[in-house]
Amino acid sequence: MKKFNVVGKPVTRQDAYEKATGTALYADDYTFPGMLYGVMVRVPASHAIIDRIDYSAVAGNPAVTAIVDHNDIPAQKKVGPIKQDQPIFSWEKIVTPGDVVAMLVGQNETELLQLRDKVSVEFTALPVLTDPLKSMDPDAPRIHPQYENNAIVHYPLRKGDPEKGFAESDYIIEQTYTTQFIEHGYIEPEAVIAIPLGKAKGVKILGSIQNPHTTRKVVALVLGLPLTKVRVVQAEMGGSFGGKDDQMNILSARAAVAAVKTNRPVKIRFNREESILESYKRHPYHMHYKVGFTNEGKLKSMRIHITADGGAYASMSPFVTWRTVVQATGPYEVENVFTDVHAVYTNNPYTGAMRGFGSPQPIFAQEQIMDEIALKLGMSPLQIREINGFKTGSVTASGQKLDNHEVNLSTVINKAVEETNFVEKWQKNQKDNADVAKQLNFANDSEANQFILTKDQLIAPDKTWRKGIGLAASYRGCSLGAEGIDVTSAYLSVQLDGSAYLLCGLAENGQGLRTTFCIVAAEILGLTVDKIFYLEQDTAIAPDSGPTVASRSTLMGGGAVRNAAETIRERMVRSVADEWKVSADSITFANNTVSSSENNKSVTFADACGITYKHKENLATIGFYQAPEVSWEEETGQGSAYFTYVYGCQIAEITVNIATGQVYVEKVTAVHDPGTVLNLQGALGQVYGGVTQGVGYGIWEEISVHNGKIREMNLDQYLLPTSKEIDDITAIFIEGKDEHGAWGAKSLGEPTLELGAAAVANAIQNATGTRFYHNPINLEEILLNRKLYPEDLKRGSL
Amino acid sequence: MIAQFEVLAPKTIQEALQLISGNPRAKILAGGTDVITGFHQGSSRFIDTTTLIDINHIPEMHAITETDSHIVIGAGTPFTHIVENPGVIKYFPLLAESCSVIGSLQIRNRATIGGNFINNAPCADSVPALLVYEAKIRIQSAISDREMPLADFLVKPYKTQLKPDEIVTEVILTKFDDGYKGNFYKLGRRRGVAISRLTIAVFGKVENDIITDIRIASGAVTPIGMRIAELEQKLIGKPANDDSLKEAAIELGKIILEKTGIRWSAPYKLPVMQQVCYQQLHTLVFGKE
Ligand SMILES: Cc1cc2nc3c(=O)[nH]c(=O)nc-3n(C[C@H](O)[C@H](O)[C@H](O)COP(=O)(O)OP(=O)(O)OC[C@H]3O[C@@H](n4cnc5c(N)ncnc54)[C@H](O)[C@@H]3O)c2cc1C
Repeated sequence: MKKFNVVGKPVTRQDAYEKATGTALYADDYTFPGMLYGVMVRVPASHAIIDRIDYSAVAGNPAVTAIVDHNDIPAQKKVGPIKQDQPIFSWEKIVTPGDVVAMLVGQNETELLQLRDKVSVEFTALPVLTDPLKSMDPDAPRIHPQYENNAIVHYPLRKGDPEKGFAESDYIIEQTYTTQFIEHGYIEPEAVIAIPLGKAKGVKILGSIQNPHTTRKVVALVLGLPLTKVRVVQAEMGGSFGGKDDQMNILSARAAVAAVKTNRPVKIRFNREESILESYKRHPYHMHYKVGFTNEGKLKSMRIHITADGGAYASMSPFVTWRTVVQATGPYEVENVFTDVHAVYTNNPYTGAMRGFGSPQPIFAQEQIMDEIALKLGMSPLQIREINGFKTGSVTASGQKLDNHEVNLSTVINKAVEETNFVEKWQKNQKDNADVAKQLNFANDSEANQFILTKDQLIAPDKTWRKGIGLAASYRGCSLGAEGIDVTSAYLSVQLDGSAYLLCGLAENGQGLRTTFCIVAAEILGLTVDKIFYLEQDTAIAPDSGPTVASRSTLMGGGAVRNAAETIRERMVRSVADEWKVSADSITFANNTVSSSENNKSVTFADACGITYKHKENLATIGFYQAPEVSWEEETGQGSAYFTYVYGCQIAEITVNIATGQVYVEKVTAVHDPGTVLNLQGALGQVYGGVTQGVGYGIWEEISVHNGKIREMNLDQYLLPTSKEIDDITAIFIEGKDEHGAWGAKSLGEPTLELGAAAVANAIQNATGTRFYHNPINLEEILLNRKLYPEDLKRGSL
Repeated sequence: MIAQFEVLAPKTIQEALQLISGNPRAKILAGGTDVITGFHQGSSRFIDTTTLIDINHIPEMHAITETDSHIVIGAGTPFTHIVENPGVIKYFPLLAESCSVIGSLQIRNRATIGGNFINNAPCADSVPALLVYEAKIRIQSAISDREMPLADFLVKPYKTQLKPDEIVTEVILTKFDDGYKGNFYKLGRRRGVAISRLTIAVFGKVENDIITDIRIASGAVTPIGMRIAELEQKLIGKPANDDSLKEAAIELGKIILEKTGIRWSAPYKLPVMQQVCYQQLHTLVFGKE
């Protein structure tokens, strides 16, 4: 392997100082002269026809500079990445409580917040559809009457002959798993400012925006402007996790419409409640798995039916569920597969992109099934995965042969297993905790309550804490795959003093992309990282590089930055070789100097830039990177879905209090193969954050809905894991070889999140001898095998 | 959304008492961790408040003093000081423990013990420990100065005997003899910043295998933090064996069911309260493993 100077070494984040000292500027930190605020007007309904909106109670009020609604939209009124079903301002119908019919615009936000309830909206309530499994019933309420039914998308995958596979199986397991809505929980709620620049220049948007180029497209469509007249600049981001895409496009469009109407800057900022109310969530999945396998533990056949609750709008559902159909069988060889993944409309909060993107749900199901199979056959979770796990040359469910990269599934699993002494602990727990299942012994009737215990049900203190260890493994397709066009560009401009500007079309969302890209450029140009100055994200400067999603920035952006830096380096080599009359091969770049081994000459990098300039070579360039070909056959779900994959394994070690259902997570060991690790600090950060979010998914986090309305409207009820929840996270990287991106650096962000809930669920089984099928496995789930919710949405403390 | 209000910052208790007397729209501001969130939520308890009297600049309000027989904690003492106080740790360990699991470090640096029981939420975590220690409180106004047991002060959720012109100034704890032992358990959904699902404090004395004194107080599962006197009466004089502890735990379940009726959380909380009660009594009588 190549010896690196900067790559893989701990490097301080470029934004660390400003963020740690509180001087970093987030969208809400900006104000502009004459700036107004926009405040949303909503309707207290989940599904209703809007009959009439009466603004008379607020229209003349001096606090209200303008009232903005759909009538003010110059061009397109509804938007969406695939289906244009989401109105910027609703005018026909309300399809979920987050919907907005109008915006009050004025200088004093506090007054507007008091006035908004005075807008009177007359509406006719419609039946509310909350159960996605009923969405396709013939008599189900139609969410969007312009479509034939409530289907958003259906992906089939057909491989081999599943029925024959079941016939050849010695055992068949059938099981249903469910997962919940998840809120992204970015620490900074939504904020955006639209600044009108006059007829000739259009509008500028400054905000907490995940994908500035997508926002630009949406705002341009809504205003009917060319892309060049909508300039989107990204403020410092206080988290996104996939959540500041559609939501921010729509808020930006609202602000822009108001800015154009009033000819003044307009800011929209949400508090936590409003953020939770309107923003999209991670999809709840209903997953039915039927799996056939032999006495020897070989998987023969899988039949999978998945329904994803898309909520009120299609948003990213077609992309999210596509990843699900590709990966639903897990990193295992299965000859015969029949998978149907559906996404449907309901009146629930809409669902879209969230870190993981269609993988945490099937992993929750399928990694538990692997353990169930092991238990059934008296094998260990390790053995069953050894028998079926992908190896080099394995063929995936979509018929793709894995042969262009190191297939490191068994390496990551074995490493995690050795590191934790997994098999021994798992077997011991399985024996020690065999008595717990009897203790939990759920009533068949899920509503039957036993309020008063009997003496033999009381658990002595020394029997109450049970250890569990659980494993989950996954493979994950890198970048967009056959979902979309996969190209990126990066702008690099080296200055004559040897410093350089860098900017890629992908956006810094807190993941540390600026630092990683600087590392790539610094490595190639032999610079220290501090010489490279990463510019602020601005659609007027950076070329559109597709969205910053799918754990693709290091891979795709790294490729583009590498390409740009190599181009500049070649030009410099040419010039310096010419100047010194030495061969190009003899020139090296390191420690901010450029040297030749032929004449033993060295100059500073800055001087080498001077030489290049003198030779009339351009020191600026736009690098480009293009993903290799991928393919997908819609009818059969066959094809080379992604051009490369990564592998990961996480092991959770927990203690369960079987008297109370409390789960303490003591340690998570995370072994990942992200390809080459470019930014060590960044990679560790991804693991710590992803593991924590994954465990949060498995135990605490849940948005529940009551008639389409969210119960957990703030972070006192929506329980994110705190820094105290996991005692220890151990991160280990296996750097598998790959030819793509920058030195084979692939993906890590999402792989770290997708495994936690499944590993915890398997650990809970190990601790309790009991399998739980419904995420999150919280206190009530463990003791009662169901969830409990308050009857109304009111808080006691009011 | 917070409406405009006035904040006054007296330097002495007398000054504070003067400010609050005759101003029914004034409220005390201690750590503000309930007041400010209450304002944000538009809570009915603070809807009429136009003046806040900040007691943080009054030294006596956050002093902890110890004598041979007592520890007196200023009502405005933040939890962090209580948790770190050697006297509290030594003589009232259940109080130290229960205060140490409140909110987060940041919350404990601000939130005060007085604010906790004056707010009187069902899940006020310091209350069960204070109740088993039979804490008294001192309540002053410009024209009066009274003491009462905390148990009497707490009326119902978010309601106490505090009059609009009064300030609670002290929490008075009387030291116990060595024979007493106790335990506290807080059950939350997560480890950090957890609102209690239930809490229990048990405190008592076993002599010659007989339970000679026992005090049991619950929080969060009962409408407010309270002593379970009927259960204590049944246990006192009983042999300190596993069977009596089990009976007591089940009895507690019945008592709470009677007090609260069947609430949405009952299928979980009631059985778990019995488990936790049994385990805490077990540990009290037989010691830790
Ligand atoms: C994030 C968070 C987490 C929390 N976690 C917990 C927890 O785990 N456990 C728990 O029990 N609580 C918790 N709380 C609630 C709160 O912190 C406590 O109830 C705290 O003890 C209140 O004290 P304070 O000093 O902040 O009270 P304040 O908010 O200042 O006052 C509360 C009430 O008491 C009155 N008051 C205060 N002091 C006096 C006085 N001396 N005389 C007369 N009236 C007075 C005020 O007027 C007000 O009505 C949490 C709160 C937050 C915001």
